Amino acid sequence: MPKLIIDDIPVEVAPGTSVLEAARSVGITIPHFCYHPALAIAAACRLCAVKLLDGPVKGIQMSCALPAQDGMVVSTTDPEALRMRQLVIEWLMINHPHDCPVCDEGGECLLQDFTIAGGHSRRRYQGKKRTFQNQYLGETIHHEMNRCIECYRCVRFYQDYAGGTDFGVTGSAGRVYFGRFQEGALESPFSGNLVDICPTGVFTDKTGRFRARYWDYQFAPSVCQHCSVGCNTAPQNFQRETIKIVGRRNDQVNGWFICDRARFDKGYLNDPQRPREARLDGATCGYDVAIDAAAKAIGKFVAQNGAESLAFVGSSRLSLEGMILLAQLARTVDGARLCYFTDGGELTGSAAAARLLNEKNSAYLRDIEKAECIALYALDLMEEGPMLALAVRKAFLAGAQIYLVDGDPIPAREKLPFTFTAVATLDEVPFEGGGRGVVIAGAGKKDADLLDQLASGGAKLVMLQPGPNAMAGGLLSLEFGGQAFSELASAGKIKGVVCFEADLPEGLIVDVEVVACADWRTGAAAAKAPVFLPTTTWVESDGTAINYEGRAQRFQRTRVPGLPLRGLDPKYYGSTADAVAEHPPRVHRKEVPGGAERDAWRVMAQLIERLGGRTIEEPLTGRWSKLKDLDPESEGVRVFNLLQGDPRTDS
Amino acid sequence: MTLPLFRHNRANRVVTFDEYREEGGFEGLKKAFTGMSPAEVQQTVIDSGLRGRGGAGFPTGRKWSFVPRDLPGPRWLICNCDEMEPGTYKDRVLLEHNPYSLIEGMTLACYALGVRHAFIFIRKGYEKAAANLAHGIEEAKKAGLLGEKILGTEHSIDLDLHLSAGRYICGEETALINALEGRRPNPRQKPPFPAVKGLWQGPTVVNNVETLANIPAIIANGSAWFKGLALNPEGAGSKLFCVSGSVKNRACVELPIGTTLEAVLDACGGMREGRKFKACIPGGASTQFLKPEHMKLPMDYDTVAKAGSRLGSGGVIVFDESHCLVEATLNLITFFARESCGWCTPCREGLPFVREILTRIENGRGEEDDIAILREHVKYLNYTFCALAPGAMAPLDGLLRDFEDEVREHIVKKRCPLK
Amino acid sequence: MIPETLKKALEARVASAITAREAAVDVMKELQAHYGWLTDEAVEEAASLLGLSPLQVEELATFYEMIYRRPVGKKVIHVCDSISCWCVDCDGIIEHLKEKLGVALGGTTADGMFTLLPCCCMGMCGDGPAMSVGGIPYGKLTPELVDEILEMERQKI
Repeated sequence: MPKLIIDDIPVEVAPGTSVLEAARSVGITIPHFCYHPALAIAAACRLCAVKLLDGPVKGIQMSCALPAQDGMVVSTTDPEALRMRQLVIEWLMINHPHDCPVCDEGGECLLQDFTIAGGHSRRRYQGKKRTFQNQYLGETIHHEMNRCIECYRCVRFYQDYAGGTDFGVTGSAGRVYFGRFQEGALESPFSGNLVDICPTGVFTDKTGRFRARYWDYQFAPSVCQHCSVGCNTAPQNFQRETIKIVGRRNDQVNGWFICDRARFDKGYLNDPQRPREARLDGATCGYDVAIDAAAKAIGKFVAQNGAESLAFVGSSRLSLEGMILLAQLARTVDGARLCYFTDGGELTGSAAAARLLNEKNSAYLRDIEKAECIALYALDLMEEGPMLALAVRKAFLAGAQIYLVDGDPIPAREKLPFTFTAVATLDEVPFEGGGRGVVIAGAGKKDADLLDQLASGGAKLVMLQPGPNAMAGGLLSLEFGGQAFSELASAGKIKGVVCFEADLPEGLIVDVEVVACADWRTGAAAAKAPVFLPTTTWVESDGTAINYEGRAQRFQRTRVPGLPLRGLDPKYYGSTADAVAEHPPRVHRKEVPGGAERDAWRVMAQLIERLGGRTIEEPLTGRWSKLKDLDPESEGVRVFNLLQGDPRTDS
Repeated sequence: MTLPLFRHNRANRVVTFDEYREEGGFEGLKKAFTGMSPAEVQQTVIDSGLRGRGGAGFPTGRKWSFVPRDLPGPRWLICNCDEMEPGTYKDRVLLEHNPYSLIEGMTLACYALGVRHAFIFIRKGYEKAAANLAHGIEEAKKAGLLGEKILGTEHSIDLDLHLSAGRYICGEETALINALEGRRPNPRQKPPFPAVKGLWQGPTVVNNVETLANIPAIIANGSAWFKGLALNPEGAGSKLFCVSGSVKNRACVELPIGTTLEAVLDACGGMREGRKFKACIPGGASTQFLKPEHMKLPMDYDTVAKAGSRLGSGGVIVFDESHCLVEATLNLITFFARESCGWCTPCREGLPFVREILTRIENGRGEEDDIAILREHVKYLNYTFCALAPGAMAPLDGLLRDFEDEVREHIVKKRCPLK
Repeated sequence: MIPETLKKALEARVASAITAREAAVDVMKELQAHYGWLTDEAVEEAASLLGLSPLQVEELATFYEMIYRRPVGKKVIHVCDSISCWCVDCDGIIEHLKEKLGVALGGTTADGMFTLLPCCCMGMCGDGPAMSVGGIPYGKLTPELVDEILEMERQKI
């Protein structure tokens, strides 16, 4: 363990740690552009200069590329090091445009920060600035090459880290250019990370340019709800609109990056057509009126048909809190059915994962990255868990053997960022004692025996889930006897449903009465429901999700619910006629327009209370209570050990 | 005294294979393959005091000794014939007259290093040298001196040519390795050094043409003979000096290490008619100026370094009193700025900054502060990723050290005093 | 489209390399010789021969001085402007070439015969001022000699 001194502070770090990282470990930030913890060392920008005053190396050195060694005495504030860093800024500013006021990166630009920090203000270079032609890179990323400071982060991410081949660096000397062979949309499903990784404004998020500055955003730690990997994100919102979503570091789950679906698939959050108001028999009504009506309708239905012909149906879109309360709601209506899954195969898969996975055999990101042998079994990795493809690539680059095992569905072979050997069965994969082997399977639509077989192989397991919180659905299905709605419905056992964020196909509810429906989007059930209760999405609510590996993660409310200001319907300012007659409009309003949505679990708690249950302030009780104080900025916590020894909730 | 490199040269043609052999060619190879262990060959090279002739002057035998003996997997030897240092043309002249010394030298180096497959990386424009080498390799193979089972021994060695497409940075050994692999020729982070992780991640030695061409004579005649060729006690061997600029007969000459600067110039007929020596750059574009007071300086690595410059590649560029050294330095900086690979900030952006200032000074728009800015660059352009920018700063440093008055005169008079 | 014989030859070159990439410069040069410059089509052909993406070929093509990614004349004139040639007034030769050809540096003559480019040290420092025309080196240039060479090179086509 090398011991060194940085700015008079003694530091001890693991062998191989760079001086830059050693400094960071004691709270000293050495300015840098090309250095990025996820990427190989480039030592290109030369900004992280420090001076070594004593020890095995002396003089000005680049701290990112210098491994910490015993006896080093490092100064980050030495005048010569400072001057070097100032000169690097001056060199970079020779060609960087002075367009911060009209640059979308302004306010969140590393170059801007370090230029100010370095005190550069006077231009000594008297020549012209060089200019480039920008390229069209698709509908999601805007290219502004003149701003480039050639740190090579983008190409190192795009090609080396993510395995893309259609974007790179051309030219040389002062004509180095980062772009494509010809204009066109970037092909990598991870291209959006260029926005996060560029230290200045070469790549900006085209879907949210010029909407707000960094300091305008409402944002908070969140967890992506597109697949069961549970990548950490930070949605950036302004005026009730999710403008951008950026990646958030979690070394246990997604590292630094997120996929393009996580980043760009956000239109539904801002959709002005989203249901915002409670409805009773087709007419808008107060939220509490609708809850009363729902409670009454449930009571009436049970009185007429019996509780066993009523199903409370949720989905993996629900938070853990919502799922727990759904079970309690079903229990309050004694004998009612509980469904977290519509599809029987998905229930089987998720319940099997919940049953088979444990602290020891459940593989997470690092297990995949460090694996020596990986089998991809019956899944479409780029669809079911794209970020794991990058983890597999990391293992591949480190020498791991990758096998693609045909199954149902046949794994996609196109565009995987690594090369693999195709085999017919899992038996052909040479896991040696299972030591550092990982099987990655999709959990949905598989029979339980098959999954048992996978789990008994000795390799660690990844069972990707059919939805963002499906693992919680599996765990709770085991705990509370959850059933698959499609099976109940086709067996004719169900006459009525109460839906919470459930996506029931129209065909399944033709002969079923939809008693009430709560959701943040509309569908067949909502259209049929006499009582409709609008709920919040994950960006507008606090909650917990459990990812494929059994890791519980807390997401925070990142903004208030309500209609985005952009494109707000004039009716919210009074009728069109009024607006013409009287200006400015004088319609008084104390609430955010369309801001009536409530978190699904709170709706359930209110229903439980009205149906004779007790008042619920905290949904995480019993064995789940250990997750109550889960820190949204933590790496999350795996639930297997938490759940042991206390199999039932106490409520 | 017969010097090792040009002894086989014919006036206007390439020496033939038979002529080379008749004059003692391939004797070193025979001696090594039939009577010396690889370690003995390496030790002889260490003892000879041979230093890298590409410019850095690093002891060749020591460089070889950095290759770990026990690493599994292939190891590689690359001959650096990317001779693009302005003022340097010795390798071309050598190969256009005689490809065999290099072929034999590389075979010996492969033997010493345990290399099965070696490459010659040849710059664009040296097609004639490449053709000579290609022909020579075939002849050597036919004669059993290269290829499978050399001289009937168990040793097999292949030599391949890699023809580049023109970039100065390819001469930097790690950039050259990237270029050879078909990657962008940016230099690599060191460590790991090529001797440990080079071509295709295997141990790799990169040596200059002239360096390797010296090996046959060293092996044939012994290290003491080679050392004794030098005129000064610290030196060893001979050196190709390729002289350009204001001498009467611009030529590439082979002279003993330690020959004085004056004698090198005399070998080229002295100064051109009516021109007076003002300064010279002794070792290619990235070395500092030598002045008239250095005429008696023995041209050896250590003595030239002590005089504040470098022997470098032996590309001696001679300036006379009619040459403006601000403009000469501007020309050099323009070259280096253009040839920057674009990887690191100081080189990519700092060199054009220096070029801009020198352009203004030369055109009479210089300002008093400019000299301080230039000095700052001389200091801070040392902290770059590779040696290109520090090399570029050498002549600028020399200009500010030895000819500051001339620079100042430009600024004060607001014009070039020589125009 | 390249002729089948050239394609076969290039495939053989790639196959003989230790890794396909290693042959990239050779392949680009051959395709350039065929087309006159490395056209977009040639970049794509090189990519498919080398198992790379067109962008990855472009990354290499745009690095090298002697790979042309823009149309050039039938013969490219590279005139050295480095220090040894500067010492013997290459500037005068360059001016003469510009005037004689009626183009600026980087330009192609109206008849499409010559493209004039400056170049870095050609290793002809002992024979400066130096230039190469269509790959043939010429040294010890004088304005008169330049005129003769241009005339001769024109006739050779």
